[in-house]
Amino acid sequence: MEEKHQKHKFYALDNAGIMYTAIASSRMSTVYRMSVGLSEPVDPKILQQALEKIISRFPYFQVTLKRGLFWYYYQHTEVIPQVEEEKYYPCKIMKQRQGKTFPFRVLYYQSLIHIEFNHSICDGSGGLIFFQTLLIAYYKDFKGIEVKSIGSAMDITTEVDPSEFEDSFKVYYKEGVPPPPAGKKVFHFPFELLEKGEYLLLSGILPVEPVLNYAKEYHCTLTQFVLALYFESIQEYIKESSMSEKKKRRQRIAINVPVNLRKMFPSKTLRNFFISLNPEIDLALGYFTREEIIQQIKGYMGLYLNHKNINRYISRNVRNEQLIFLRIIPLWVKKIFMPIIYKHYGEKSYTSGLSNLGRIQVPEELTSYIKSFEVFPPPSAESRLKLVMVTYNGQLSMSFGKTSGETIIEKIFFRKIRQLGIPVKIETNKR
Amino acid sequence: MAYCPKCGVEVEKGITKCPLCEFPIPDIEEKTTTKDSKYPQAINTYKEDHLGKKNKAFFSISIIAISMMIILGIIYLVYPWNHLLIKYIAVAGISIFALIFFSMGYLKFWYNFIGIYLTILVGLFCVYILTGIEYNWFFDYGIPIITLIALDICIFILIFKYNRHRSQFIYLPTNLILVIIVFTAGLDGIISINVLGYVKLSWSLIVMVSGIGIIALLQGIYHRIPEKSRQALKKKMHF
Repeated sequence: MEEKHQKHKFYALDNAGIMYTAIASSRMSTVYRMSVGLSEPVDPKILQQALEKIISRFPYFQVTLKRGLFWYYYQHTEVIPQVEEEKYYPCKIMKQRQGKTFPFRVLYYQSLIHIEFNHSICDGSGGLIFFQTLLIAYYKDFKGIEVKSIGSAMDITTEVDPSEFEDSFKVYYKEGVPPPPAGKKVFHFPFELLEKGEYLLLSGILPVEPVLNYAKEYHCTLTQFVLALYFESIQEYIKESSMSEKKKRRQRIAINVPVNLRKMFPSKTLRNFFISLNPEIDLALGYFTREEIIQQIKGYMGLYLNHKNINRYISRNVRNEQLIFLRIIPLWVKKIFMPIIYKHYGEKSYTSGLSNLGRIQVPEELTSYIKSFEVFPPPSAESRLKLVMVTYNGQLSMSFGKTSGETIIEKIFFRKIRQLGIPVKIETNKR
Repeated sequence: MAYCPKCGVEVEKGITKCPLCEFPIPDIEEKTTTKDSKYPQAINTYKEDHLGKKNKAFFSISIIAISMMIILGIIYLVYPWNHLLIKYIAVAGISIFALIFFSMGYLKFWYNFIGIYLTILVGLFCVYILTGIEYNWFFDYGIPIITLIALDICIFILIFKYNRHRSQFIYLPTNLILVIIVFTAGLDGIISINVLGYVKLSWSLIVMVSGIGIIALLQGIYHRIPEKSRQALKKKMHF
């Protein structure tokens, strides 16, 4: 009975998932990538074996997207996902709407393992738990390593806890909380887009210690410091562009910073549970120095990053989803209008995105085998360049994902880091 | 280890130019093959995927079109129905099918464009023959007006290609007004040639003057009026 129940189990999409499935296109695949570099070439057979062992512990990921009358939903499938050798462009669209693929794919290439998740199923934190669990299972079979403490990974011998797939947005939704102020139109990169289906990655790898020291010097966090450098780079680009001085002064730069809500609102969910803040600088006030940008970011975060204010974002998102006249619109109509609405209201209000997944730890026994960790943002046509940073083993990897061939912003950004005396190594998939 | 002398960053082994500034990096180490690179030579499957979807859609449309033609043929042969009407339906059906084929983008853009133009001309010619070749309207009005519209669209596409990255609030209306001006002037010319025997623009001049006025206003707002003209306007208009 239980098994039968499991077979037909369906998972309604969470608040962010609803949007991501509706807006997905070949250019905006809503797929992000996590990569680890191992000390030796990947054994695909063992990787497949490991995946098969852990997948039953993540039934909410062993699903395919189905079409309802009003919304998409995920339905459990008995099919086992297969690992594939990487040969396509990163973060390629998943043909989810045809109901044939999993919302994630496990890829390998030489000594690298990549997991690409569709953002509609989980956010970075959820994906990371799955990836860490897979790595532990892989090394258990590959080298016979039994880890003592699994850290934040999932114990595959335990039972599935329903709170792992709850929609935490709904749990913390409060009625009657007013929505946050709407975002204003900001500067967008005027770069030529790449061909549809192409996506470029460019990452800079640097030691985290000196960057942390600089952050301490400026009395801010690592994210705030990198964010300030990124703001500065975009500002410099505008300053040196061929725009008229008057037009330059009309630009606002805003960067979308996702906030993991699990730290503020206790939740065990592996699905999406984040909201985005948009710190901005307005060039109408003049050009900003690094100190001024940091002050601006700190002030903004102080004002917005608290329970009361975050509640406004959660409530806005959930309320929009629950509006009865939106819910009764058939799915095919929603599918037409949601990308248009998202283009105008979603991405209009930020220039780029910066997400920090923080410090990643793997069990002590595996540190000598796992050499590097990188995370890449999902591609987007409006915000043509986005940045994700992650720290692993004293190395900070700052990975840009872009739907344009231009490298001017990264050039300014990494040259700034070099000017601080920090060594940077650049890697890219551009040929 | 290889470094870019301009950016000061370390780059991957075997790379020939800096990934950030494209500055050539001297090949001091042995050339590495792609096998050592972190990323494989990626394949873009977009066209293939897209073509699959397109083919499916086109196949369904073809089936519908062929069935329609067969039904029409049988009706034509078996039933003593209005034969002229069936011919009209057949012409419309074939034209629509050809238009769909060209709009699906199987050929290069300009071939499709010419294809659509020719389809409309041929379709119109068939209607002209079916109506019994009266009044010579196809040669007097049909061809000139369709050619005018085609040229007008060409102008719009070329101008839009050039300025699509500029403010769309200013340039899109500007281009559209320009297209309307060219169209009305052409139409006025065609009518006057057929009625009077020579080109005489009348009502289209009103459209032209007001259109140019609006374009000047929009462009003026966008580019700002030159200082000299602004001063002159200030002098004349002060109150």
